[in-house]
Amino acid sequence: LSTGNTVMKILNSQLTRRVISRTFESLRSQVQSESCVLAVCDSPVFIWPNKSVHATPEEITPNTPCEDIQQWIQTDDQESAGKRSAKKKSKKSSSSVINLRLMMELTQPGPLSAPILSKTVQRSHFLAATLPMDCVVCIGCSDTIKYACERLLEALTRQLCDMEKVTLQHMRGPTVLVPEALHFLLPEPKGLVTVVYTEGVSDSQLETQRKELHQQFELPDDRPYFRRANAYHFPNEPYKDGYLRNPHVVLTHPTLDNGKLYLVQGIYSYHHYMQDRMDDNGWGCAYRSLQTICSWFQQQGYVERSVPTHKEIQQALVDVGDKQASFVGSRQWIGSIEVQAVLNQLLGITSKIMFVSQGSELASKGRELANHFLTEGTPIMIGGGVLAHTILGVTWSETTGQIRYLILDPHYTGAEDLQLITDKGWCGWKGPDFWDQTAYYNLCLPQRPKVI
Amino acid sequence: MGRGYIVEDTVERYLSKLCEQQAGPVTGLLIGQSSAQRDFVVMAIRTPQSEESTAAGNSVDKELVSEHARQVSRMLPGGLSVLGVFIITDTDAKDTLTTLRQLVFAVENLISSELLWNPADDDVTDSVTLHVNTKTRKTVCRTFDVKDPKSTARPADWKYQSGVCSSWATVSCCLNVNLLVPLPHNKTSAENMDRCLKEGLKVWANQIESGVCLIDGKKLPEDSELTAGQRRNVRQMYSAQLLITPDDQRLPDVVQLCGGSVSVRGAIHSRAFLHSNKPKAKLAEKLLKRDVVSTVASRVQMLLEEEDQSGDKQQTEQLCLPRRVFCPVKVNGPVCVCDYQFSDEGLPEVIDRLKEMLDMDAAEEDLDTRQEMTAEVTESSVTTEPTVETVKASEPKKNNYIGVAMATAVALLATAASMLYLNDI
Repeated sequence: LSTGNTVMKILNSQLTRRVISRTFESLRSQVQSESCVLAVCDSPVFIWPNKSVHATPEEITPNTPCEDIQQWIQTDDQESAGKRSAKKKSKKSSSSVINLRLMMELTQPGPLSAPILSKTVQRSHFLAATLPMDCVVCIGCSDTIKYACERLLEALTRQLCDMEKVTLQHMRGPTVLVPEALHFLLPEPKGLVTVVYTEGVSDSQLETQRKELHQQFELPDDRPYFRRANAYHFPNEPYKDGYLRNPHVVLTHPTLDNGKLYLVQGIYSYHHYMQDRMDDNGWGCAYRSLQTICSWFQQQGYVERSVPTHKEIQQALVDVGDKQASFVGSRQWIGSIEVQAVLNQLLGITSKIMFVSQGSELASKGRELANHFLTEGTPIMIGGGVLAHTILGVTWSETTGQIRYLILDPHYTGAEDLQLITDKGWCGWKGPDFWDQTAYYNLCLPQRPKVI
Repeated sequence: MGRGYIVEDTVERYLSKLCEQQAGPVTGLLIGQSSAQRDFVVMAIRTPQSEESTAAGNSVDKELVSEHARQVSRMLPGGLSVLGVFIITDTDAKDTLTTLRQLVFAVENLISSELLWNPADDDVTDSVTLHVNTKTRKTVCRTFDVKDPKSTARPADWKYQSGVCSSWATVSCCLNVNLLVPLPHNKTSAENMDRCLKEGLKVWANQIESGVCLIDGKKLPEDSELTAGQRRNVRQMYSAQLLITPDDQRLPDVVQLCGGSVSVRGAIHSRAFLHSNKPKAKLAEKLLKRDVVSTVASRVQMLLEEEDQSGDKQQTEQLCLPRRVFCPVKVNGPVCVCDYQFSDEGLPEVIDRLKEMLDMDAAEEDLDTRQEMTAEVTESSVTTEPTVETVKASEPKKNNYIGVAMATAVALLATAASMLYLNDI
């Protein structure tokens, strides 16, 4: 047997599986041991969950409600790591996130026996991996730390079991496939759920697993909940790419008589003039609206490709024969038809086109728009006159016919300042008079693929 | 302005005695602790006589002095270090200064080559030299910056005082060590094991350095005074806890063929002393962590040095690291030195080494052997009793509001997650 074959043989053997299981067992007992410590990030708070929930500082007892921990967390505008003054007590009463780190205590009361150096000489394989554990528990503010620790320990132990299963399942050859834990926010009452995937295995290979999860959680099988892009983004983590997400959520939505709200579903990024060091002021509005739509499909997990640049958009149109090669690098406008073509070419997304011969007719399109947001929930690109915009939702009254449009304006040239963008109406509610009443408009309504 | 050294009275008596006894130059080491404002000297130790030097009475053996310093460093708990060198001679001051300069640089180079920790920005890099002239009985004190090869002598104050370390604080802990290092699969020579162990120790030392240190159960702000609120001139004892998490650097995952493994498992007692001039919490943490690293590294080193002399390297074996034994220094205060007692040695050997290396007269009653127990090699392998709970899939609690979501992001220790599996070929 050559060395190569021997390696393969060893790594798939029963013996190997037993050793891996034994190691996971030892990890589980470490997590359940008295040396396990939960450290609250950015604070002097440390909790020993398996030592009768002993904690430091001494003001914290097992019966302390979890919301009290907030006071100890040092935010950027604080100097010391002490308690915040009572005056500055947090106004937040609803959801908040406390980050913890799992640590191991190395010290313990002595005296103990001095170390032994053991040397083993035997041909074998050595496997070392860091397991990126990530657990979440949702509990009430007034629940005690003791309760939270019990839930966390349960979650950690369960995750180690899941990771063991995944590691054994995906053991193939000499490569190490490391498990990866992701959290997904499912519709109430299920809440946050943690799933262990394997790093490096793409979404397309995980379809069977997703089918099982959809069945397990009784979710519809025509929209994704468990793709990597669907992973829950915790409110206190900034997005690395710097784009604003869903600026519309901070707005106060209008109320109409018998009016109902129909909004875009899920997460999109706000793309507008001058971003990415691209000066498209005056001609790029439809491109930006298209980028916003692409960002929606990416973040809902339907596509993996990143938001296309202006050049890539133009190249796609050349590739489908819609434009000449000279189009690439030009500053030519595009319209809804081009947006539809690019969505199809680059993302494989089909779209419906809605045409109105004059802007005043848009006021009567309430039912169609409402239905679109109900069933598809995708952002709409609207082009007409000389402008392009994105429609993120409508408030529409079936009885009175009154309508308001939630508009995301790509003509904004400033920085990613949520306050400014919403105050000045760059993302805001507009009435039917927002449209040029005599111009004709084309709307591109992207359709959501029925996949998981 | 130059540095100021506050020196124990006992050092003066020791140096005077050496002046009277010896013909020919006497060199030795000065032991103590440096801080930003002041430096404290607690002990002076003459260089042991080797057979050659008694014959050639007049020359100063640089290698002997630095080797002595290296061995003495191993016997100093945290907070104590070799601060510099003294020489008692009637030779001219200028020549002596040159000799002294060479000595402190040689000592520094040798000692720092063995260190496993990274130097900190607030480390003092000056070494002190003391020249006691037997004829004139004058003492001349100068310092050199040993991190600067071009540094020149700067004058420093040398002042004797009693009770210099009488109210020094002690920080200590008992710490579990659990190292596992694979050995390469080609010839497992002794050098390979040494090198692998050293690399493994370096990784472990980094983990210790970046660990969280609690003092008396609390995480104190770095710049807070350790002894704030305590009565002055009362001896303080603090107990420390060390917590680690390897979340910052995620070491690359690895599967490799290996020829075996080396592990170091057991517990050590670590101790550090802090001067009484308003020491900060971060100093306590720094000194204790350095002691943790050096006590393990020194012992492993000693074991390997012993092993180099014995025979067959190609076998599975278990060796006991020596245990740490403390001995108080004969000054008023908590300061101790330490030695390592191998399992085949008795206390008389420890006493001999204390005399030979530290010129210290100690009796068996003085020794503190209660901090660590002698390691014993047993046949039982390390099997952890797994306690796998049967976790019932609990329904998520129905809340009217999602109050607090606690997220834990964790990367488990590579050595904890490391798996070693055996090939039955």
